Amino acid sequence: MFKFFSPSNIYPLIQKLIKFINSIFFLILLIGLTFALVLSPTDYLQGDAVRIMYVHVPSAWIGLACFSLITFLSVLNFIFKIKNFYFVNKSIAPIGLLFTCLAIVTGSLWGQPTWGTWWAWDARLTSMLALMMFYIFYILTFKLLKREELIIKVSSIIAIIGSINLPIIKYSVEWWATLHQPASIKITGSNSIHSEMMLPLMVMLLVFLLYAALIFLMKYKTEIIRIKKKNIKRN
Amino acid sequence: MITNLITMNGYGLYVWLSFSVVFISCAVVYFKTRKTLKKYEKEFLTELQALTLEEKNKALENSKVAQQILTTSSKVN
Repeated sequence: MFKFFSPSNIYPLIQKLIKFINSIFFLILLIGLTFALVLSPTDYLQGDAVRIMYVHVPSAWIGLACFSLITFLSVLNFIFKIKNFYFVNKSIAPIGLLFTCLAIVTGSLWGQPTWGTWWAWDARLTSMLALMMFYIFYILTFKLLKREELIIKVSSIIAIIGSINLPIIKYSVEWWATLHQPASIKITGSNSIHSEMMLPLMVMLLVFLLYAALIFLMKYKTEIIRIKKKNIKRN
Repeated sequence: MITNLITMNGYGLYVWLSFSVVFISCAVVYFKTRKTLKKYEKEFLTELQALTLEEKNKALENSKVAQQILTTSSKVN
């Protein structure tokens, strides 16, 4: 099964997927922005500041999802020694770092009008900052280390240690008294967010996911070409 | 309505700054990623073209990726 996911088999599919995402991206972005900035209602407490949620929440979700995926693939790579996962992780990490940074910056811009401060050393904010540091250390292993086996080992260890932080981020608002509000959207149980706000949030999440997929495909394609270039030199 | 959209009832600075930071960062990352991809594609083609005909055919036979890159580049050119 893993053979199907080899770079040579995936490469033609990557081309098609990039073209497909490029063709629909701007339309969905336009719909998302119209909903988020014009059509969605204001909050009874936060007023128009609530619109920051449409960029802050998807950024945080994707930042967390990328690290979860990196950890999962690192564990699989540790067990099954599938080198392809190393290239996948290398392509995902910068996307995760970008979205984690954006979640922190937009959170800070949301915090000023609602909490009256840009930053607080509160459990959710600090654990998100820790996630950003784990991403930086993870990416640095690719930049600083030379031997591939060593990079795989060190980056996997960072990913596995960093994964301890993921449940801390998720449950920090329940375990400690924080400035950050508890989760409004739950996979199990009822949501405390109105459908008129939920729809724009989901459209913006789709926009961010498409963008993340596009960057991932471009980075992964670059990695494949880099490997093939090395092989040509060897032959 | 347009004034409302710009001022966002006093929250305009925070809302517009958030959206701008996100879209500018995303655009920078997109263009940087695309530039790197194009650079590697170009370098790969240059190396492929530097090979002898026999070596080139062997490389194309062994690599689906090399065939794909060559096809895409010929479409572009």
